[in-house]
Amino acid sequence: MRWCLALLICCLAVVNALSSSGSRLLAILEDTEQKDLYSTLWADLEARGYDVSIESSKSEQLALFKHGERAYDHLLILPPKSKGLGPSLTPKHILDFMNKDGNILLALSGKTATSSAISSLLLELDIHLSTDRSQVVVDHFNYDTLSAAEKHDVLVLQRPGPLRSDVKAFFDGEGVLALPRVAPQTLGDSALLSPILRAPATAYSYNPKEGMPAAEDILATGSQLNIVSAMQARNSARFTVLGSVESLEDKWFSASVKTPSGKKTSTVNREFAKQLTAWAFKETGVLKVDKVEHRLATEGAELNPSIYRIKNETIYSIEVSEYVYDKWVPFDVPGDDALQLEFTMLSPFHRLTLQPTHRTDTSTVFSTQFVTPDQHGIFSFRVNYKRPFLTSIEEKHEVTNRHFAHDEYPRSWAITGGWVWIAGLWSVIGGFLAFVIVWLYSAPVTDTLKKTQ
Amino acid sequence: MAPSSLDVVLKGSSGRNTRGLLRVIILCTIAAAAVSSRLFSVIRFESIIHEFDPWFNFRATKYLVENGFYSFWDWFDDRTWHPLGRVTGGTLYPGLMVTSGVIYHILRLLTIPVDIRNICVLLAPGFSGLTALAMYLLTSEMSDSPSAGLLAAAFMGITPGYISRSVAGSYDNEAIAIFLLVFTFYLWIKAVKNGSIMWGALTALFYGYMVSAWGGYVFITNLIPLHVFVLLCMGRYSTRVYISYTTWYALGTLGSMQIPFVGFLPIRNSDHMSALGVFGLIQLVAFAEFIRGYLPGKQFQKLLTSMVLLTFGLGFGGLVLLSVSGVIAPWSGRFYSLWDTGYAKIHIPIIASVSEHQPTAWPAFFFDLNFLIWLFPAGVFMCFQKLKDEHVFVVIYSVLASYFAGVMVRLMLTLTPIVCVAAALALSCILDNFLVASTPSTETKAKATTEDKSLRSARNPVVGIYSWFSKSVVVASVTLYLLMFVAHCTWVTSNAYSSPSVVLASKLPDGSQFIIDDYREAYYWLRQNTPDNAKIMSWWDYGYQIGGMADRPTLVDNNTWNNTHIATVGKAMSSREEVSYPILRQHDVDYVLVVFGGLLGYSGDDLNKFLWMVRIAEGIWPDEVKERDFFTARGEYRVDEEATPAMKNSLMYKMSYHNYQSLFPAGQAMDRVRGTRLPKESPQLNTLEEAFTSENWIVRLYKVKDLDNLGRDHSNAVAFDKGLKRKRATKRKGPRVLRTE
Repeated sequence: MRWCLALLICCLAVVNALSSSGSRLLAILEDTEQKDLYSTLWADLEARGYDVSIESSKSEQLALFKHGERAYDHLLILPPKSKGLGPSLTPKHILDFMNKDGNILLALSGKTATSSAISSLLLELDIHLSTDRSQVVVDHFNYDTLSAAEKHDVLVLQRPGPLRSDVKAFFDGEGVLALPRVAPQTLGDSALLSPILRAPATAYSYNPKEGMPAAEDILATGSQLNIVSAMQARNSARFTVLGSVESLEDKWFSASVKTPSGKKTSTVNREFAKQLTAWAFKETGVLKVDKVEHRLATEGAELNPSIYRIKNETIYSIEVSEYVYDKWVPFDVPGDDALQLEFTMLSPFHRLTLQPTHRTDTSTVFSTQFVTPDQHGIFSFRVNYKRPFLTSIEEKHEVTNRHFAHDEYPRSWAITGGWVWIAGLWSVIGGFLAFVIVWLYSAPVTDTLKKTQ
Repeated sequence: MAPSSLDVVLKGSSGRNTRGLLRVIILCTIAAAAVSSRLFSVIRFESIIHEFDPWFNFRATKYLVENGFYSFWDWFDDRTWHPLGRVTGGTLYPGLMVTSGVIYHILRLLTIPVDIRNICVLLAPGFSGLTALAMYLLTSEMSDSPSAGLLAAAFMGITPGYISRSVAGSYDNEAIAIFLLVFTFYLWIKAVKNGSIMWGALTALFYGYMVSAWGGYVFITNLIPLHVFVLLCMGRYSTRVYISYTTWYALGTLGSMQIPFVGFLPIRNSDHMSALGVFGLIQLVAFAEFIRGYLPGKQFQKLLTSMVLLTFGLGFGGLVLLSVSGVIAPWSGRFYSLWDTGYAKIHIPIIASVSEHQPTAWPAFFFDLNFLIWLFPAGVFMCFQKLKDEHVFVVIYSVLASYFAGVMVRLMLTLTPIVCVAAALALSCILDNFLVASTPSTETKAKATTEDKSLRSARNPVVGIYSWFSKSVVVASVTLYLLMFVAHCTWVTSNAYSSPSVVLASKLPDGSQFIIDDYREAYYWLRQNTPDNAKIMSWWDYGYQIGGMADRPTLVDNNTWNNTHIATVGKAMSSREEVSYPILRQHDVDYVLVVFGGLLGYSGDDLNKFLWMVRIAEGIWPDEVKERDFFTARGEYRVDEEATPAMKNSLMYKMSYHNYQSLFPAGQAMDRVRGTRLPKESPQLNTLEEAFTSENWIVRLYKVKDLDNLGRDHSNAVAFDKGLKRKRATKRKGPRVLRTE
């Protein structure tokens, strides 16, 4: 029986291997006939282990939740033409889905106006669309001369590198992307948002139906326009917005493009779609804390005690792994970044960089050693590691830092400054004893003299 | 043959034995009466710890019994004053807990398994019996009359002034401290009378016990030196005084320094300086006495004057220097408030906010002491008549304690013993004179005239009462007063002092009792529905109860050691949600508890205490919290439609009235404590959500929401959940803010 169970667990592991958070993927299309346009995408996703169910947003039995639990792990929404996504996909449902750790990839299109429901949903996430919701990004320097010689609305761009020097790149690589008719987004100032692919500095957006943009009614220009943007909620649920749904279509997966300055090449849209869906559905950039240990630096000290004393030498270590496509690997902190530990009571008393001390097959152990502060109270070991594109690590372990017990102070003779007092004490005792002895043995002499007289 | 057989029992040596036996029986009866009159609360409610401070003492006792003495001594309590914690072992008076712990272990040794709770509940009544005995001993030292001691014991046993702090369940330091106070004074009088090192050492021993039990030990620390000082000033220096005082001071100070909370205070704090000063003075006086024996009068006079001047100059200069340099701590705020009753209100609102630190109202004296209060001056006058060393003590004690009892309500407790002594002296004198059946003979008259005393009042001859009529009238009226006293004491005890204040009782219109048990309901909800280390924020009054009954960590409690931390809670309660929420997050608060009496008309609720929170917070953050903002333009404190914006937006107001309007028909919501009609709309809470409200809405608990998962602020998130569409900020003022990575 036991091997049976083991086999079952293995099977489950294989099935779940692809995404770190489940394989049930729901794709929403306005009408299911459209699905042939994206057949390569579905095939790729299924090949990576997803159970793709494709539903129409008009479908009656469509429900994100069943018995109060998520019915799917991931949601892929292709842009509807109508005003909303139907009664079972209101913004509230979608946000609830995120609050319950579901991931969402939303594709927009510049071809048609984005529905107002989606616009208000994005507004809750601090992602802004233009007021008329039907603008398109154009760039007169990076367009495909083959398919959009006139309109310049098929952008041809390099894959994005790392966002900053201290952030890992998940979407980089060789080759160019073709992004036809992008609906641009701008991002608010929230720390949860991060751009995946920004428009080039020479790009701008306008509503093709109304002609040239008026100077005062510009959404944004240049790299403030986002083509692909990402939002990671506090519970690490991911929401990805892709500006151009057409770039996922079969024909753009293998199309040939040519920029005004370059030569004819074929696109890497298929590669990028893999990277994007892998990130959006938590196949990459997922961190996991396997173990947190803290103890006194002495040999054989108790593990994770709930109480320390002030001025104790303490060791803290945390084991972190990263999920890359189908397995857990040791996590490496990017070059300019550091994983830090705070020892906090109201405010941090220590903020220390955790150094990688050793690696296992699947994880890296980071640790540091420090002396607990000379302040009693309820402290917490905190690791708060939140970076773009990585799921957040928020570890908080409360410990008590107590004062010296009455028998833990150094003894009086161990303090050199106390020797004066000790000497004084003993000299008084000695003096008193000497006095008593002298007194006792010197009294009777006069008595005997008097008696004889 | 009946009279002769009675004579055998009542006269001679067997008569003395009979009287001794009677006295023992009477004392036992008095002790029993003292214990039983304190059991009202147990009979009427249940065996439960009362009020606030006793809950901490109870919790500490449980810790002591469970973990042993040494870990109690080094106890760092991480479940109060989150996140600062409290070095509890070093900041409490351990006498009470150790006493109960010892009793518990002795009973266990005798194989009597008694729950520690019952020991704690019944400790105060038990010790009140002992107090009555100690009172008998003390008063017997003052008077030759055997009845004075018994009367004093009886008074002490049942007077409401003492019962108020020692009913069953009132497990507070005073429960044992009053016994120790009286007994220490008895031993001191004994020591002064006999000039014996043994009695002096016993005084010091019980003084040390007293120091370990109650902060009021400072009263003894100052009263005994004052007694000695007055005796010296009266020219009554004797070796008896010298021996007893030096023994007491040396041993007592060493003893008191063993308590960690007291530590070096006896040699550094101004409150203790009088004892040290008198100790120095008595050495000088003794030295002068010694010199006097060896020097002729004139030279001695010169030496004495120069010595006095020199010593005074040196001592005063030294004291000033040490005070200025900070070696001797300045007088504590509580001490200042003893001299100037307005001091605390201006400088230390936290002390003034406690009701038992308010000045005493005059009726309280009669309420607590009944007819003793008018016998008291008579007793003091009679001490002047004799004026031996111990009578000087009674006079000083009465003067000091009367003053302090007038300044602070709780100090009525220290006045009560001396009132009992003085009243018993007066009453026993009356009874001794009027109860004598035989007519006085002329022999005693002659004896009385020959006696010559220093005071004129004492020079009049005491003869006796001849008339049976006056005898019977006086005895009857005294008996009547005594009976009324007993009736009054019983009535006051049963009606005023036997409520546990954890459980409230009220009468329904049909006369039946209605128990309001909201506090325990809410505390048990917390205990059963929240994680073990969920932090509860409430005003400090409820800290000990939450710690004791709900067993959850609190931010502040009745041990008000950190004014800033209390002010932080005050600020969180009195500020807007946007200001409070970061404070709550920073302090890891999970639940907020407020007490609201609006539905039931319970006047001790948080909104009525709210101004103290504002004042205490204003003391630390005068720019952010202002008391003026909570009063309307016409200076009224209102909670209705006209309330000020600061009031309406404060967290306390919102938490008190959240959803309250839904109990009433639209527009009819009434607050029964403040007697006002409330606004139509109930206030909107964004960062907190209601977790629990007790049956009569007295205790309301709110859970602090986590940060919004999607990074919105709480008001937007709540608006979205309600289905309101967010207004898009289309027309931005000023230049566009660009996002940089």
